[in-house]
Amino acid sequence: MPIQPEAPAGRARERATIGVAFGLLLDVGAGIDIAGIVDTPGGHDLEAASPEPPVSPLSAEPTRVRLDPLELERRWASAAHAAERVRELRDGDTVLLTVELAPHAGYLLHAPGFGRILIAPDGCELVCAPEPDNSQWTALLPAQALPLAATLRGFEVLHASGVVLGGRAALFTGPPGAGKSSLAAALLRRGAAELLSDDTVALQLRGDGALVAYPGAALLQLRAAEHERLSTRERALLGPPTTFLDKQRYSQSVAASPAPFGELFLLERSAHGPPIERIEAVDPFALLASTFNLSVRMPERLTRHLDLAVALAASGRIHRLRVRPGTDATQLAEIVHERLLEL
Amino acid sequence: MPTMSQLSDQELLANQVRLPQHVVHRSFVAETVVLNLRTGKYHGLNPTAGKMLEALAVAPTVRASVPELAREYGVEPAKVESDLIVLCQGLLQRGLIEIVDADPA
Repeated sequence: MPIQPEAPAGRARERATIGVAFGLLLDVGAGIDIAGIVDTPGGHDLEAASPEPPVSPLSAEPTRVRLDPLELERRWASAAHAAERVRELRDGDTVLLTVELAPHAGYLLHAPGFGRILIAPDGCELVCAPEPDNSQWTALLPAQALPLAATLRGFEVLHASGVVLGGRAALFTGPPGAGKSSLAAALLRRGAAELLSDDTVALQLRGDGALVAYPGAALLQLRAAEHERLSTRERALLGPPTTFLDKQRYSQSVAASPAPFGELFLLERSAHGPPIERIEAVDPFALLASTFNLSVRMPERLTRHLDLAVALAASGRIHRLRVRPGTDATQLAEIVHERLLEL
Repeated sequence: MPTMSQLSDQELLANQVRLPQHVVHRSFVAETVVLNLRTGKYHGLNPTAGKMLEALAVAPTVRASVPELAREYGVEPAKVESDLIVLCQGLLQRGLIEIVDADPA
């Protein structure tokens, strides 16, 4: 599989619609590779923090994480000849991340400056070889490795933050910097919601068609600007932070069990239109592109990915959440909270 | 199995087409997504084309799907026929449908 091209940041997504409306032939592009849509330089990768302990939140069986550089070398040495690069994330000329797949060894993630992680083909084991000089290499676990492992284990991971309110999961997705974590934090401060997960939410489409969202790491991270905006009282509600990479990290309790999917809010910055609007005809490509991990391209996974998008769209519970200029997360949380109570 | 370049429009209309095993499609409210599992590429069909694809999948020939579509959309069969040809060509080019070989011998 070739390295997928990266989409320049901010480039309009190229549609590839084949269609005829009785005489009007629509655009007939070459087809969309979702991997080319989502990976934007300087995007969400490597931003998230580490879960402690690094355990897959997705089932009773934890994903085992081993810190064992020699074992990684041993396994990869015997498999590298059959490896192919399935993903490459760059920021200009700088390689941020590569993912290679060797059929029997699994997926090797390499983030220069952070380290390497080998993920077993079944997603049940991660073998880590961190860069010795980077104590924050664990950022790779929730940012890349655990979502990939979860995908291999049969889940789909959305680039979203989520809370549980009224027994159902409310998820917030949008581009980096849209305010997903800030909104989740503001809802927590209101005291009416539990944290489900920050930055990544694992979803499962069950055999009966039910969508279930799984709790993630017991952490929440805010950008420095959002942290500075909070009052002393608001900060106290989140507990003492620690600095991790360029963010402030708060330890939080998370929901104790999976929650049925409730609502999905697509955040966008806009001065026009109602603050919240249910989307009648959701763009399937927007849903597909909100999926976090793009390296796993087996037919069964691609089909599952598509089926999950169908289920989300069919739920009728997808909303556009417009963030107006000057609206802060506290105000936005009030709007969202009121709407969630109505639904 | 004949390819698109080997078929005239009339021959295409007389053939049966189908989705290959490595192609799946799912309908959304305003779009049908066709996914090529070999390439990992997603293609969008507008609702009309999505309905055409569904009709093509069960019709014994491309031409056999014309009357029902013409009735459903209230347009001349000739118009449906020409649009079906364009759609089939687009789908064939992308490997999203294939011609069923009626006489493999």
